Amino acid sequence: MIPGRLVTFLEQHANIAMAGTRNRDLVPYGHRVSGWRISADRRTVTALISEQFTDRLVESLEDNGELALTVEEYPSHETYQLKGRYLRHRPLESEDLEVIERIRGRFAKSLRPLYPDAPDDILRAFTLTPRLAVEFEVREIYLQTPGPGAGARLVPTADG
Amino acid sequence: MAEKFLTRLPAEIRPVLDNGVPAVMVTCSADGIPNVTIISQVHYVDDTHAALSFQFFSKTIRNVRENPKAYVMVSDVIGQANWVLELEFQRSETDGPIFDAMDMQIEAIASATGMSGIFKLRAADIYRVLSVEKLSHVARAEA
Repeated sequence: MIPGRLVTFLEQHANIAMAGTRNRDLVPYGHRVSGWRISADRRTVTALISEQFTDRLVESLEDNGELALTVEEYPSHETYQLKGRYLRHRPLESEDLEVIERIRGRFAKSLRPLYPDAPDDILRAFTLTPRLAVEFEVREIYLQTPGPGAGARLVPTADG
Repeated sequence: MAEKFLTRLPAEIRPVLDNGVPAVMVTCSADGIPNVTIISQVHYVDDTHAALSFQFFSKTIRNVRENPKAYVMVSDVIGQANWVLELEFQRSETDGPIFDAMDMQIEAIASATGMSGIFKLRAADIYRVLSVEKLSHVARAEA
């Protein structure tokens, strides 16, 4: 189960994410993620995959089910990686698009200091339009914020 | 809209590698578990090689030594595109001109992002470029 503090981070602070899969030959692929939703029981996450990054996604997931999702708050660099097993995929729903809009706004705001003169639409376009929703069961969570604790497993804890 | 540049890094990617926007790297362990990590720097070595900084992402470091295939994405915010590199790990360098150049750049990034003392270069990992693809933020025609 995803800890409550991490749910708050994912729903209110994180603003950029990337998923990773691999094919049967262990070749890794990346898939930009425009948004994410946590199930009510906090056991699964639905990653909303950007449309330019769906190549080889379903094929790999149906082959082996392995999926990793790294979610960051830029520019603080607070970062977590969720690893788990593919459950299902589906087309987008209207609620997904509302989630994306919130994340798009957060990320565009975070980019503003880096690009003070860039038009808003350029910064907002960085969060891509999603095409597919992929739900996976979260089995492990790792801290990935840069620093000495990076790589520490948070879930499950050492005592299970 | 995608453009494929087989095996070579084009000149237009070089400013993207230096733009300060963190890149993303995906690797896979020998037992088939993918790993996604943020990396602060992708260094241009020549048009068929890139170097990645080995700082503290130990799972990534272990993975590429077990399974040398890697996927890296760098972002061009203003150019509205992502660049996808498929790479293969070749060797690790702990001194020499590539290491020194990366070390200086890491220090500059750390200073600019308030992470001085946290970012520290342990090695420059050298990768061969297998393919390069530019993905525009504009949706594909068939989408």
